[in-house]
Amino acid sequence: MTAIPAVLVLVLAGGKSDALHALGRIRTASALPYGGKYRVIDFSLSNCVHSGLARIGILTQYAPLSLQGHIGIGRAWDLDRRDGGVRLLQPYVRQRETNWYRGTADAIVQNRNVIEDAQARHILVLSGDLVYKMDYAELVRFHEERDAALTLVTAHAPTEEPERYGYVHADRSGRVSALEEKPKRAGGRVVSAAIYLFRARELMARLNRDGEGPDLVHHVIQPMIASSARVFAYPHRGYWRDIGTVDSYYESNMDLVRPVPPLNLYDPDWLIYTPSEDRSPAVLGPGAAVTQSLISHGARVEGEVSRSVLFPGVHVGDGARVEDSIVMHDARIAPGARLKRTIVDKRVVIGSGASLGFGEGTPNREFPGDLGTGLCVVGKGSHIPEGVQIGTNTLIEIGVCADDFTSREVPSGSVIRPGGQGRAQPAVRGLSGGVP
Amino acid sequence: MSFVSYAMILAGGLGSRLCLLSEKRAKPAVPFGGKYRIIDFTLSNCVNSGIFDVGILTQYRPLSLRDHIGIGRPWDLDRKRGGVELLQPFRGWAETDWYRGTADAIYQNWIRVEEREAEHILVLSGDHVYRMDYRPMIEAHLARGADATVAIAEVPLEEARGFGVVDTDDAGWIRGFLEKPAVPPSGQISMGVYVFRTASLHAVLRADPERETAHDFGKNILPALVRDGRVLGFRHGGYWQDIGTLDSYYRANLQLLRPDPPFPLEDPRWPIFTPSTEFPPARLGARAQVRASIVTHGTIVNGTVERSVLFPGAVVEEGAVVRDSIVMGESWVGQQAELTQVILDKRVHVGPRARIGFGEDLTPNRSCPEHLSSGITIVGKETRIPEGVTIGRNCRISANLIEEDFSRRTIPSGEVMERELNVAH
Repeated sequence: MTAIPAVLVLVLAGGKSDALHALGRIRTASALPYGGKYRVIDFSLSNCVHSGLARIGILTQYAPLSLQGHIGIGRAWDLDRRDGGVRLLQPYVRQRETNWYRGTADAIVQNRNVIEDAQARHILVLSGDLVYKMDYAELVRFHEERDAALTLVTAHAPTEEPERYGYVHADRSGRVSALEEKPKRAGGRVVSAAIYLFRARELMARLNRDGEGPDLVHHVIQPMIASSARVFAYPHRGYWRDIGTVDSYYESNMDLVRPVPPLNLYDPDWLIYTPSEDRSPAVLGPGAAVTQSLISHGARVEGEVSRSVLFPGVHVGDGARVEDSIVMHDARIAPGARLKRTIVDKRVVIGSGASLGFGEGTPNREFPGDLGTGLCVVGKGSHIPEGVQIGTNTLIEIGVCADDFTSREVPSGSVIRPGGQGRAQPAVRGLSGGVP
Repeated sequence: MSFVSYAMILAGGLGSRLCLLSEKRAKPAVPFGGKYRIIDFTLSNCVNSGIFDVGILTQYRPLSLRDHIGIGRPWDLDRKRGGVELLQPFRGWAETDWYRGTADAIYQNWIRVEEREAEHILVLSGDHVYRMDYRPMIEAHLARGADATVAIAEVPLEEARGFGVVDTDDAGWIRGFLEKPAVPPSGQISMGVYVFRTASLHAVLRADPERETAHDFGKNILPALVRDGRVLGFRHGGYWQDIGTLDSYYRANLQLLRPDPPFPLEDPRWPIFTPSTEFPPARLGARAQVRASIVTHGTIVNGTVERSVLFPGAVVEEGAVVRDSIVMGESWVGQQAELTQVILDKRVHVGPRARIGFGEDLTPNRSCPEHLSSGITIVGKETRIPEGVTIGRNCRISANLIEEDFSRRTIPSGEVMERELNVAH
């Protein structure tokens, strides 16, 4: 007898996050490296397995290769199962109608057969780009006790940014009366956590209606609330972060190096799983000084590192100083280089004596809203030449090389692109060509 | 393309000179270099050399090794054809019994070799740290038509006394072996890495059980093959370290910390594979001072660490000082505790302000002076050292002691602490 799992999990991991700029162009936000050895989606997947949910589909569309390589057959999460396990659901060509996923609800509709085959009683819809630990088993219990058509999880937003959140209005029993998406004014800090547990029948009935729009919130959830379906709010009280912007991604990583981190990664009962990298242990040299930082395997530190997150294989040379920064896999920080509040993507090379993230705080000239808090972002594989001084709120695009620097000083607020400063379209865009 | 695709790894040894480290585990399962076990080097050499069919001969306390190897996933040895198999002694056939020696272990499992119809096999030891591509050696073996080929390492003359010294002629053929000679003629020693022509090995192995020998490869089988056949020497130029004694174990670990280590663990072309631990990255606190050291995932340091190796989940609390030490997985060093030249086995708990490896008194250990005299103090698995206790040098503190076992506040150099069996707890 095959047990019918009560819950099918669908993880939305297909979106493109323009606000992440160079960090989000080569990968979907769910695949962003996080916390020294993880990808953001590891949190959702680890939560699932710790909650006893092992039938998972991941809906991908935008730049899925990074995610696909990461998930593989799901071994790292014990999700390589005969029954259930994890599956990547990429859009595919059909005989009659072929479409990219036009939205979150559409992505689910296009996988109707997967959902029907699962014969699940409930469907848990997650966003792969959230950082939090949560026991979904309790959520399922809450949902069943109330015989809810939909239970939506609420969380405490770290900031009041009305344009980024949806605000949930509920009565004392938890019955939801409204979900206000991206209002003009913030409705407090209690927001929708983008974690939805549907009664499967209810969701499928709504999705199957003709003329239904493609967005899960606008075209399914809000109409459910409006038609007085049984929609309840379930409060998640712990840490919860959406990392869809450069600032929120940075702050959430920095939360991990605070003296008492608000998110505990060391809890033996709720470890976050991720594929292992087969790297050697980290080596700190005789002159190393590392404080308030996370250091991963394969790292080699000769210089100073403080309040920073170092991913596997990062080398920090003698006399180099890395402060308040995030340095991803295999980046090389040459001797004497200095980094402050800088996010360095994979395989970046910082030349000796270069400095990044110092200077006055002019917001970025092209993206003042996304790069205005003094961060510096260096895209994957870029090479920063020796001795170059780069200011704050700067964006160094993916694949920039020494020839792209026309001056040894890059003032705060600049954008450097490969193939010369004036070029609007970086050549590497072609990598994600074909994908809308 | 070589004809050699099956390797047998000898991993049954007792390793008595490793003291407490091998009290509860076979020597190949002893933790090494921050995240590895000693056998990882041999297993990784196999798969990196394209050998994916491996039998591991175990006898002494195989549980730790068995848990470590599992189905061989980290080495890509969970395979339909080949893979890894642990070969523990069994009963049932007339001639099966406990393994009487390394040669006997292979002989009792000879059916494994026969099944493969292999013309040549590789026989390796599981207790050495080295990086070696076995393919050039196999090619030399085949090209020269040898009955056996023995890998040779060059060590300083004074160290050669502890090994089998090899005497070769100008063409590279081995003329003889000297097992642990008092005055070694050269520093050429056998690494315990062999390629055998299956038929030649079988002939010698078949004759061996009836004789009153040690049933040992180095002592009996190879000398017999040298007498009856053609045994080639193959020079291995790279690093090779036998982890036979506590001193060599300690030294090999601390060599990894040198600015230019003789054996860098990081080599993307020749990775050393091991099962991963699910710990988060190492976390260094605001007061951490970590220099010339190895840290691993799950390590949490708020104190001072110098010239030391910290295994996954090791914790060094604020004000604690760890110098020239090896701290194994999930051990905890309390506030203001001090460790100098200490090996802590797994899950040892060092109470606040305890001092271990304290003082300049280098009195050798009273029960094993031959293995514990260079100043190293060793603490066995899961022992709890009480707050404020002082322990000297060359001490051996047994596994699984609890605070109440320590009736004295000071344990002088050279002491041995064991649980008194007649005391009820």
